[in-house]
Amino acid sequence: MNRRVTLAAIVTVAAVIPLAACGQENTGNAASTKPTGKPTVCLVMKSLANEYFQQMQKGAVDHVAQLGNVTLDSSGTQNETDVDGQVALVEKCITKQVQAIVLAPADSKALVQSVAKAVKAGLKVVNIDVKLDDAALKQAGVDAPFVGPDNREGAKLSGLELAKALGKGAKVAILEGNPGADNALQRKNGFNDAVAQGGLQLLDSKTGHWETDEAHTVFGNMLTAHPDIQGVLASNDSMALGIIKVIEERKANIKVASFDNITAVKQYLQSGVMVSTLDQYGSQQAANGIDYALKMINGEQVTGWQKTPVKVITKDNVG
Amino acid sequence: MISISVARGNPRTSRAVSQVLGEAGIGVALVALALFFLAFAPHFGTAQNVRDILTQITLNTILAVGMTFVILVGGIDLSVGSVIALCAVVAGTAMKGGGSASIPAAVLLSLLIGAATGLVNGFVTERWRVPSFIVTLGMLYVARGAAEQYTGAATIYSLPAALTGFGTTTLVGLPAVFAVALLMAAVAWFVLSRTVFGRLVYATGNNEEAVRLSGHRTGVIKVVCFVIGGACVGVAAIIYMARLGVASPILGQGYELNAIAAVVIGGASLSGGRGSVIGTLLGACLLGVLTNGLLLMGVSDFQRTIVTGAVIIVAVVLDAYRKRLSIRLSATS
Repeated sequence: MNRRVTLAAIVTVAAVIPLAACGQENTGNAASTKPTGKPTVCLVMKSLANEYFQQMQKGAVDHVAQLGNVTLDSSGTQNETDVDGQVALVEKCITKQVQAIVLAPADSKALVQSVAKAVKAGLKVVNIDVKLDDAALKQAGVDAPFVGPDNREGAKLSGLELAKALGKGAKVAILEGNPGADNALQRKNGFNDAVAQGGLQLLDSKTGHWETDEAHTVFGNMLTAHPDIQGVLASNDSMALGIIKVIEERKANIKVASFDNITAVKQYLQSGVMVSTLDQYGSQQAANGIDYALKMINGEQVTGWQKTPVKVITKDNVG
Repeated sequence: MISISVARGNPRTSRAVSQVLGEAGIGVALVALALFFLAFAPHFGTAQNVRDILTQITLNTILAVGMTFVILVGGIDLSVGSVIALCAVVAGTAMKGGGSASIPAAVLLSLLIGAATGLVNGFVTERWRVPSFIVTLGMLYVARGAAEQYTGAATIYSLPAALTGFGTTTLVGLPAVFAVALLMAAVAWFVLSRTVFGRLVYATGNNEEAVRLSGHRTGVIKVVCFVIGGACVGVAAIIYMARLGVASPILGQGYELNAIAAVVIGGASLSGGRGSVIGTLLGACLLGVLTNGLLLMGVSDFQRTIVTGAVIIVAVVLDAYRKRLSIRLSATS
């Protein structure tokens, strides 16, 4: 094959992948568009390959089965940053003329136009997981209530556990999520709040793109550059797993505070290397969103931020 | 400017330039980069950091060695990042909670899955004469979806202690996992440069028709290269689990592009027939040293991404220049 053609093709495909990834669908019991008495709620999520959204979807399906008075049409994108794919999913819901959309936006600004389109078409929209950008919403002239946890507050709570364990003046580093992702920014801000409030000393802050292997590489190099690091604030548990691997390899006495509470970190909370992680009850977030969507369908006015509970998980309550 | 005037000079000088820009060129670039970081990146030259770099480049080295075979016959494998996830979750599930006795079967399973996807990639490419680019792009989705389906998107942990222990062992100062990568590179080098099969791989990439007319089944050669590439991914999956102690269906995204970058930086031609395992190894080292050094210098995430991309572009431009030079040489001689 001609090399120039191959290179051109690589570039083309890199551009096309997000477009092609228009999403996996998981339609509840019926994909029927017209309500047969029961309203239909479209649940549009991010990557279903992520355990977190998978649990969220399961929570929603269970919740809807229990309610019995609503039909669920849920779908997710193929990866976390698949904005175009998610726009297509929202438009699909508008075309199907469902009554409400519960949306976990892949991007807090890019999805606002689709939300405005849905609202203007008469659909109720409830925002979950990551908050849509207020300024962008105002500009588009629409409002969508946000039902979800406060990522910044959660990260602060988890970070303060680390501050408590290490004491004032301890040297720490932050591993951030994907640059540009709203929850990554909120968690980073929350960790910074904890650093300030707990009197910690921040030595470095870098992204590990949410991923175990990259966090292992990035933190390994961070620790070489700053051998005196005493604690790490990891923006999710997947990255914490890579960080803990480095700590084990170097036989270092370093504590980790994290976020998400996936089952794989339980052993590290018990052994003490992980001081804390944060459970924001992801599995119930979509279900909460559906409850609010039903309220709105029934004519109730819901606006602003409806905060959902979060819980710091430590050695004492990990079970 | 200098390079252009040299290229227009006498053929002997041009040939020397051409060689320097090849394997030696990448070696020179690597040494220059290492010297730069020795001067400006604190802790870069410590034994611990060298071990770290070697551990960090292990996965990409293994994947890139496999990718070298595929690229040498003019193919490309975009599926490796997804296939490594599939191999890891299936083999990881087989080992989960088990003792060291469960490791050999899991390793075999991982190798078989990797080789099987390579076989499918190669067979479909050859049988229906479709670009491997498209076939492996399809496999990228198939394998990722299969990994997600298999696990229900859950992260697998509790892998045997013997395996994760291996991930942190050192052999005569070298990380054991890197020793595996080095061994694979050595075997690949031997196969490609000292065996009839190796000569046929290069010949097929250079001029498939001539090889076919001389009585060899080029289709088989190409499929075997894809199978070798796939088996390497199977090994990489085991190494991933040994190092990190977990397997997740979302692991490995973008690994294919890192592997291709290492091979291309190592001087291989994406049109096939040119490249070497040593070049690939140096290419993987260059990328690893770059990431490590920039992190140690405290360069921001964004700047690090820009620099890495720029280095890949420079490498490809050098490659293109070298190719034009060799065409001019054959025209003049």
